[in-house]
Amino acid sequence: MRAVAEFVRPALLVAWKDVLLELRNREVVATALVFGVMLVVIFNFALNITPETVDVLAPGVLWVAFSFAGVLAMSRAFVAEKEEGTLDALLLCPVSRDSIYFGKMLAMFVFMVVIEAALLPIFAVFFDFSAFSATLIGAIVLATLGFAAVGTLFAAVAANVRSREMMLPILFFPLVSPVIIGAVETSGAAIGGGGSLTSPLRWLQLIAVFDAVFIVVCPWLFSVVVEE
Amino acid sequence: MIALITTPVNNIPYLFAAFAITWAVFFVYVFITSRRQDELEQEMEGLREEMRGRDGGGGEM
Amino acid sequence: MTTISNRTRGGLKRNVALAVIAAVMVLNMYFAFMFAPTEATSGHVQRIMYIHVPMAWLAFLAFFIVFIGSIMYLWKRQEKWDDLASSAAELGIIFTTLVLITGPIWAKPTWGIWWTWDPRLTSTLVLWLIYVGYLMLRAYSANRSQGMKFSAVLGIVGFIDVPIVYFAVDWWRTQHQRLVLGGPSLESDLHPDMRLALMVSVIAFTLLFAFLLRQRTSLKRVERGVREMKEDAEIRSEG
Repeated sequence: MRAVAEFVRPALLVAWKDVLLELRNREVVATALVFGVMLVVIFNFALNITPETVDVLAPGVLWVAFSFAGVLAMSRAFVAEKEEGTLDALLLCPVSRDSIYFGKMLAMFVFMVVIEAALLPIFAVFFDFSAFSATLIGAIVLATLGFAAVGTLFAAVAANVRSREMMLPILFFPLVSPVIIGAVETSGAAIGGGGSLTSPLRWLQLIAVFDAVFIVVCPWLFSVVVEE
Repeated sequence: MIALITTPVNNIPYLFAAFAITWAVFFVYVFITSRRQDELEQEMEGLREEMRGRDGGGGEM
Repeated sequence: MTTISNRTRGGLKRNVALAVIAAVMVLNMYFAFMFAPTEATSGHVQRIMYIHVPMAWLAFLAFFIVFIGSIMYLWKRQEKWDDLASSAAELGIIFTTLVLITGPIWAKPTWGIWWTWDPRLTSTLVLWLIYVGYLMLRAYSANRSQGMKFSAVLGIVGFIDVPIVYFAVDWWRTQHQRLVLGGPSLESDLHPDMRLALMVSVIAFTLLFAFLLRQRTSLKRVERGVREMKEDAEIRSEG
């Protein structure tokens, strides 16, 4: 029980700190939200989305918007830490690195889910689909978990290198491509109503496997990244 | 050789391109690494000369 | 005096290795051009397979070496492991690039289009992106040791991701059967003579890979030695 308290409480505190900061500044969520809406508009012009093509294109546009807005939110995650030196202060505390990782990951997950929850009804209106299917919600939760797991690690990496705004997307997107593929396929089945050869369940399993693997691997590598 | 000429579609140029590009890439790579190796050997010689000169020229420590 | 004979001995070994590899390559060319039968529908261009397929496998082997080297570096913090990992990454990217170049060159005359989004080619593209990121990370890091540490992290995550990427792309591809005929032919339904030629190709390119890896790794080690010598010299000249 004490182990749980030693691990869980610091993680929750770290997450709560980030959330509190965001509640005060409202930088991350608001900008990512606006960015997401703007993406939909641009895509509408770029792809010339018509009622006939909407079922095919909507899932893709949805997930491009989610992932790009997510990366925008992610890139903020460690910048403040780096600039203010708060990460070093955090590391001096007798707190396990895993706690810090899971705290940051939780905060990142929360931010992205909030952004997605705000964007989803807007998209449902633009593209005329029902936002409330269980498969779709499941896909969003699982995929965002995967984004947060990998994103936290590489946001920490990118914050320390030059060209960090470019490096994070370059590192992040190829790695999470399975998640994006799975999310788009599942959303396609949920929105358009399918004709898919591979069932959505199988795709969700793929994303779940991705999540399981990287939720285990990334914290360990995180401690390597932040230690001097 | 007759077999080559009577191939229904003459796509030998593509075959040639693929092999040519492959060998070119490998030769360029070997060339670059060999040159780097020679540069390094020269640098090492230069450093050794410097060390010898300094040691011979007067005591240190 | 010993230095000179060491160098000649090393040079001799290298030249022998090079000669062996050249001989095996010529043998490979014989098998690819003369021994292997011509494919019925696509003609001689199908012989590109004897470069394309071995290099895809070797790229995968290279990234496996990056994976092992990265783990060992993070564990032991001995720079020789980073030498191995970064050299393997360089070679892996070269091989991957060649796979991505020979693929379209094969596809265009065979299926009429440059790019087929077939699972192997598409996963290779994602792989290429991941490992180019590896090199970029090393280039953009604040200092050398940070570059080694960060790229080792990516080397591990990247390789673990590879099978997941492959499955995802494979399922995605079967879902969206754009081409009735899939991409480059599966190794399983090959004429036995073709399979033999393919095996010869794999051996030939594996030898080449091993040689280049050894050369590149020892080059990095020497570079490091020179750098350390220079730092020593600076310290001494100040003291």
